[in-house]
Amino acid sequence: MNVASNLLSWITFFPLVGILAIMCLPSAQKQLIRLVAIVASAVPLGLSLYMWFWGFDGASERMQLIERAPWIQAGNFVVQYFVGVDGLSMPLVALTCLLLFIGVFASWNIERGLKGYFALLLLLEIGINGTFVSLDMFLFYVFWEIMLLPMYFLIGIWGGPRREYAAIKFFLYTLAGSVLMLVAIVAIYIITGRFNIQSYLDVNGNNVAGLLELARTKNINPQVLTANGMLLGLPFQDWIFWFFFIAFAIKVPVFPFHTWLPDAHVEAPTPISVILAGILLKLGGYGMLRIGFPIAPESFMKYRDFLAVLGTINIVYGAYVAMGQTDFKKLVAYSSVSHMGYVLLGAASMTDMGLKGATLQMFNHGTSSAMLFLIVGVLYDRAHHRDLNGFGGLMTQMPRYGGWTTLGFFAALGLPGLAGFWSEAMTLLGSFGPYPTLTIISGLGVLMTAAFLLWTIQRVFLGPLNPKYAKLPDISAREIFCQAPFAALCIVFGVAPAMLINILAPAVKSYLAMFPGLH
Amino acid sequence: MPDITNPFWIRPELCLTAFACAALLVDLLFRESVLVGAFSLMGLLATGYFLLQQYGQTPPPGHVLGCVAVDRFATLFKLFAVGSLIFVVLFTLLGKRTRREGFSEFYFILLCAGLGAFFLASTYHLLMMFLGLELLSISSYVLTGYYKGNRRSGEAALKYVIFGAVASGVMLYGFTLIYGLTGSLDLLEISEKQLLRAQFEAGPSGYVPISIAVAMCFAGFAYKISIAPFHFWTPDVYEGAPTPVTTFLAVASKGSGFAAMLRFLSAGFLVDPNLPGNEAMMGYGVKIGHLVALLAAVTMTLGNLAALQQTNLKRMLAYSSIAHAGYILMGVATMNDEGFKSVLFYLVAYYFMNLGAFGAVIYFANTTSGEEIDDLRGLGWRAPVVGVTFIIFLVALVGLPPTSGFVGKYNLFVAAIRNGYQWLAVVAGLNTAISLFYYFRIAKAMYLRDPDEGRFKTVTPSPMLAGLLVLLAFGTLWFGIGPGVAQLQDYAAVSQTLTTR
Repeated sequence: MNVASNLLSWITFFPLVGILAIMCLPSAQKQLIRLVAIVASAVPLGLSLYMWFWGFDGASERMQLIERAPWIQAGNFVVQYFVGVDGLSMPLVALTCLLLFIGVFASWNIERGLKGYFALLLLLEIGINGTFVSLDMFLFYVFWEIMLLPMYFLIGIWGGPRREYAAIKFFLYTLAGSVLMLVAIVAIYIITGRFNIQSYLDVNGNNVAGLLELARTKNINPQVLTANGMLLGLPFQDWIFWFFFIAFAIKVPVFPFHTWLPDAHVEAPTPISVILAGILLKLGGYGMLRIGFPIAPESFMKYRDFLAVLGTINIVYGAYVAMGQTDFKKLVAYSSVSHMGYVLLGAASMTDMGLKGATLQMFNHGTSSAMLFLIVGVLYDRAHHRDLNGFGGLMTQMPRYGGWTTLGFFAALGLPGLAGFWSEAMTLLGSFGPYPTLTIISGLGVLMTAAFLLWTIQRVFLGPLNPKYAKLPDISAREIFCQAPFAALCIVFGVAPAMLINILAPAVKSYLAMFPGLH
Repeated sequence: MPDITNPFWIRPELCLTAFACAALLVDLLFRESVLVGAFSLMGLLATGYFLLQQYGQTPPPGHVLGCVAVDRFATLFKLFAVGSLIFVVLFTLLGKRTRREGFSEFYFILLCAGLGAFFLASTYHLLMMFLGLELLSISSYVLTGYYKGNRRSGEAALKYVIFGAVASGVMLYGFTLIYGLTGSLDLLEISEKQLLRAQFEAGPSGYVPISIAVAMCFAGFAYKISIAPFHFWTPDVYEGAPTPVTTFLAVASKGSGFAAMLRFLSAGFLVDPNLPGNEAMMGYGVKIGHLVALLAAVTMTLGNLAALQQTNLKRMLAYSSIAHAGYILMGVATMNDEGFKSVLFYLVAYYFMNLGAFGAVIYFANTTSGEEIDDLRGLGWRAPVVGVTFIIFLVALVGLPPTSGFVGKYNLFVAAIRNGYQWLAVVAGLNTAISLFYYFRIAKAMYLRDPDEGRFKTVTPSPMLAGLLVLLAFGTLWFGIGPGVAQLQDYAAVSQTLTTR
């Protein structure tokens, strides 16, 4: 039970302690429940910071902090508890812990069903972190699905007026994708007889090749299942690729699977929106990079042009639709669709620069979108509506809030000096080589993002003050406390992006090495 | 020759029969339904004890007393039946409505139904199979109509009788055809002496009578486990019957139906290159597999789509049980040991989640006296423990981790995909997504809706029933993530008694 040697397990499962404690508390003890939730989310945050600065070797390309133990070994279950992190997943684990910690503070106003709320929030944290650290596909799938249930209830119980619709839509979309993933996982298992993504040495010191290694060396042989490797006129690998891709694309969300996102965001309470945009969408991008693309490298190379087109559509279409919104939260939701397009475009580019941009964008969008949703939440808590045309001139009334908003918006539109700039610029630079036209079109998205964000500032903060809101209190200390860490990260990684890029670079390098014949 | 004089192997049946008859006497002497219930429970526990004793022993080969097989496969299914009967009796005792209506002869009939399930699951002899089916069915008809003076219950019983009579008649006709073709009613003899071989070697003209016979037999099984197109009775009967009876039909009765079907198929048409038999027969087995796969796809899709429309809880669970029959058929379609194993695996998983779901329905019906989904509005907040267990059962029914429903479905997927039914796995996967929608309407009603003002301020507590549900929920999780998965694999390996000879 040594913390340092089981660091990832502690980070992943510590919230379980909080869940049990909360379950035992009487529901009248609201402050105590909140306190337990803070502690239960602070400990993983502390451990993840320890991991970032001391436990993790940023220069190494290898999987680190590996833990491996048999879980179920019977019949068709050769499942291991196999976890570890590399430069791709480690920052996302830390981001998850931070977002959930802030999420607890942002949930301070919630009064109804507090016990259930925080228990579900902590269960969500287990699901997300577990997905990021899993190196076994079965384990990955289990965590991936565990995440859905708390999210359904968090949106469905504590959400807005159309919460029932939004919650089940989210659940249905994600599940429809993940059952396809399950079929693909089972098919791969039947062919290879294993679930481990990563290679490892068994007790005798023999190398047990992971699925990604098998995929790279073309040792996943579909002849086991199909006569000639073809299924209904498509190579078997293509089926695997598409099944995985659809599962992850729904999560990202990639056009045309994005329609659940605005609904879920609009109805979800603020902290849940923050977590949804901040980290849940990244699971889609992470899944593609960790499993979806390298498990079917040839299919990916075959279809990557199409994926780049989808990424561009995401960027431009998301920004375009965002421009047309009058609901503040829906606008931010569509801006997320636009921003996640960079991840897909960068991943499709298959250049070192593009991939660094894509992975960087996952982290940076996590911080900037969290800020944006918190900003929306501050205003909604006071005015109880989100109609952009119903405000005006708030800068004079709430100057500090205006300042934080401007910072958040600038971070989101990629102003140089803030983090978003580096990830967008690197993605576009990287993808210009293989896809010059698409990159130029995507550049339009940057422009449109700037346009709708600035226009929003104009509509909400500038102009004459709407007399209805002449008495709105300015942003409170608790709300600033929630914003500050994200703002700090946007600035730190805007000024010194190398701090993060240096961690991502080895992972990107080993990722590119998984595609033989690329260079 | 097996040792006929050793009563060890028929002790469970004797015990169950004795207790069933004694239950009638207890009723006559004391006129107290709770007492009769408790007495039957004792009987079931004793039977279960004898079965567990048997389960550890190596069974004698062949048949005891000529007609009844006592292999481990049979013992497992008998345990399955007794295990569900124990819960059915407890549900009857703890349900408000069943208690009020004074169910006493009820227990006698229930034990008889159990006996029918025993025989149905444990014979290779077609005549015995038919007798078991009839004993089970006729008892079920009576049980279904047990709410005296309730029109729905009476209507359900009548529908069930008519449907059952037709289906078992058709099945009997199929049996006679098999007898006509082979001169034997013993499936083991038919398979060992390859009595159907001549028919297969006769070419197409020999195939026709076999196909007619097999299709007719299938009608009987399909009716028992509610597979399309023989599922029409299910929703009405499930809705009209007393809920404990519905539980019995959904779990024990369906389980033995599957047992009989697997026996029937394994004796004649198994697809396994290691088994003796000629190629024509194996080819025929593959064709049956295709047919079963088609039925599976139709059944699960139909069940799930129809369930989307339902507002009554029991009706919805009826369609859900049709859909689950479709999932389980995926394993049957493979026509080999791996598939059959996954069927057993799923059935054990199914046991926990279905018993749990029906138990939760009874728990809430004790308060609401209704069985509409809408009646549950906000009740999850009023009864947090039972609410959470109900959610666990629903998650398992959808087939999401970390529950037994997931590992069960995963195993079926493996069997289907490995044996060439990739399309079926995709269909089942999409069906899973559809099923989420209606299962979670219950979750929506329980937690996402606010309770009605003034209505159901509290939920009538029933700590015993809540305890049972917690136990079942624990089972659902234990067999979903815990070491239970490996145990489940051991139970499922019993399918080898059918497939290796």
